[in-house]
Amino acid sequence: MINSAARQSSARTIIASIEGCTKRYPGVLALDDASFDVAAGEVRALLGKNGAGKSTLIRMLTGAEVPDSGTVRINGEELTQTGSARAQESFSKGVRVVYQELSLVPGMTLAENLFLGRWPRKAGILSYSEMEAQAEEAMKRLGLDLPSSRLVAGLSPAERQLLEIARVLIGKPKLVILDEPTSSLAAAEAEKVMTAVQRIAGEGIAVIYVSHRMNEIRRISQSATVMRDGRIIDTVDVAGADTREIVRLMLGSDVAQAAALETKTRETVVLDVADLALAPKLSSISFMLRQGEVLGIAGLLGSGRTELLQSIMGVRPFDRGTVSVDGKPVGRPKYKGMLAAGFGYTPESRKEEGIVPLLGVDENVVATDFAAVSSKGILSASRMAEATRRIVQRLHIKTAETDTPIGTLSGGNQQKVVIGRWVHADSRILLLDEPTRGVDVEAKAQIYTIIRQLAAEGRSIIFVSSEIEELPLVCDRVLVLREGTLKEEFTSPDIDQDAVMAACIAGH
Amino acid sequence: MSLEQAAQSPASAKRRRGGFSQHMNEVSLFVAIAVLYIVFTATAGGFMTFNNQINILRDAATIGIAAWAATLIIISGEIDVSVGPMVAFISVALAYLLQWGIPTPIAFVFAIAIGAALASIAGILRAYFDVPSFVGTLGLWSALRGTALFVTDALPVSIGRNEIVDMLDRPVLGVPPAAIIMLVLFAVFAFVSRRTAFGRSVFAIGGNPHAAFLSGINVARIRVALFAIAGAMAAVSGILLLSRLGSGNATAASGLEFDVIAAVVVGGTALSGGRGSMLGTLLGVLVITLIGNGLVLLGINPFFQQVVRGLIIVVAVLANIQAIKRGAARNKG
Repeated sequence: MINSAARQSSARTIIASIEGCTKRYPGVLALDDASFDVAAGEVRALLGKNGAGKSTLIRMLTGAEVPDSGTVRINGEELTQTGSARAQESFSKGVRVVYQELSLVPGMTLAENLFLGRWPRKAGILSYSEMEAQAEEAMKRLGLDLPSSRLVAGLSPAERQLLEIARVLIGKPKLVILDEPTSSLAAAEAEKVMTAVQRIAGEGIAVIYVSHRMNEIRRISQSATVMRDGRIIDTVDVAGADTREIVRLMLGSDVAQAAALETKTRETVVLDVADLALAPKLSSISFMLRQGEVLGIAGLLGSGRTELLQSIMGVRPFDRGTVSVDGKPVGRPKYKGMLAAGFGYTPESRKEEGIVPLLGVDENVVATDFAAVSSKGILSASRMAEATRRIVQRLHIKTAETDTPIGTLSGGNQQKVVIGRWVHADSRILLLDEPTRGVDVEAKAQIYTIIRQLAAEGRSIIFVSSEIEELPLVCDRVLVLREGTLKEEFTSPDIDQDAVMAACIAGH
Repeated sequence: MSLEQAAQSPASAKRRRGGFSQHMNEVSLFVAIAVLYIVFTATAGGFMTFNNQINILRDAATIGIAAWAATLIIISGEIDVSVGPMVAFISVALAYLLQWGIPTPIAFVFAIAIGAALASIAGILRAYFDVPSFVGTLGLWSALRGTALFVTDALPVSIGRNEIVDMLDRPVLGVPPAAIIMLVLFAVFAFVSRRTAFGRSVFAIGGNPHAAFLSGINVARIRVALFAIAGAMAAVSGILLLSRLGSGNATAASGLEFDVIAAVVVGGTALSGGRGSMLGTLLGVLVITLIGNGLVLLGINPFFQQVVRGLIIVVAVLANIQAIKRGAARNKG
């Protein structure tokens, strides 16, 4: 039964509850008749893959969204306001969220950051003594022993995360929601955050802890609520549930089976990475990529996937290890040199690093090889249009004209252009970092097809993804990145998404 | 099929909108120039004479030649405030080169090379050491003016008779060579900005430097090149200044950098980078020059002229932005 495990203990003081909430966005049922509650002093883990409805559930509690139907209660009182007043209402009842993105001002002191915008004043003048006293008290509650007059700029990532948590502790919160607070931290640092979370719960504050790291969840929470497709699937007793069972709840069983990929024996090794390390994220990474192969790299947010690709490409210098291309070590990879060796790289954040939004599709494509569309150093409009049309047709990019500004295209089509620019440059080794992030279902399927086609032409592809269910659809082989090393390997057709997911989140 | 159409129509609508607003910028600048012509013809005596029109063209050259390079720099997301002192410094340096008896054409080449080399210091600081270009060029602004004043004691450096230098100030069929050089350089810059990998890379860098770098564009080298080009263009202005005054002058071209930046911005180039056009800058240069010329002819107090000029520049940019916004909104509906 739903919530069975949680409901059993009778002495619970319910801090926040959601009853029968449904929320529909255009084209998506984000929350489907969800009921949920959390009690004082409890650390409730919230699990679910991307798009399962976790953030919508959180937005219900914070009042950022009004449910289409159903009620939200904080301290037994129903939220009644709409619009921005609703978030204020929820806030005044003691709901606080610590988001993934850190929102600290590096050039200001810890105390100033804790009170950002709400600095205590006396007759219009900032009262530093009061601010610092309160700040140090809030930090002490988390075991953060730092002078409050220090600048945030000198803090470690874990200390910054703790500071974010300390900020919500000011003003007597009842419910604290943490959204993947350890995703950017190395294992040892995550420890500090977990200790802090336990302290908060010890004070009688209800905590909702969104994370996918099972070992963390086992450490700090008693029960875990699993969401899928906008529904609360179950709330399980963490101690009694094994990881595979939780994975099954997260992924469901009605997943379309992967069309069997043709399995070929591939001989030529084009890329060989040996014993690569980059503190604190990666330690001793070794793998090979063969010609015509699609190699998947699976791992949770913050597991070091992006760092690995950037190290290979020479964008991010690594500590030790060797990268060999076609059997020859390249020494310290340089980005230019890797491109010359036939590599292509598409970054994780399309908007920040992938596209030049004001320029046309054509210019976004040909930037990787201007020479191919020039004669005597002068760009030929006709050759540019022709080269772009070739890419547009091959990759099924939906664009009105070849020179339509890329910023006006949908995310999926932008992504296809970003991949297409390496097809234009005729790169033979493609490193794709989360190429399907923020892309609609249809475009995802097209991107899978494109990747398979590129591999069939003899190109070699590294496909990084946090969406486990797409790996069996695209990859010949999948490596799982966890705790800084490659933990497990799966080979097509034996890429079982439950097993891959379990390997990603495994806590022993 | 219907899905494809659904995906295409909003994109094409936005595209028309984009095209229209770009158009809108130039159209509203044409209107501004027409208004200035009508107002000054009606109120300022001698505005519409041939001689005055030639004067306008000659004045435009001073701003224009530097403004072409400044447009590329601003599109790439950078700024150059060192133009005025660079022009003055080069005119002084060139005067000394000629005094030492270096053959005039070689001295010209030296002058341009010196300008490019000095300005590329700011480019190198920006590209390889992350010193903001405002700071780097501000340093040049101060150091170049200071050096020129120090060396010359603020006195003009005479070059005596020089046939080639004099020729540069002798009108050809009534048109001053400076104006011809400005227009030829305009054509070159307009072509480079639209039709070469270098020009398009400048737009890409201004639009998204990370994406440009990851696409394999040599961002650092292009940044240095942009400043070197700006220095070379300032040197060309310095050569023309020398020919006009007949001497190298450390106090000349004071405040030119602000006229140049104002012309580029009035021309619709975004200070945040990634967007702009050479034609816009050409029209912007005309607007700035016309205002200067008209106010002098109207006999307005020279101190008060600066007030009027400041107001007109801000109002012109404000009106332009509003016109583009209205155009976009109309197209949306």
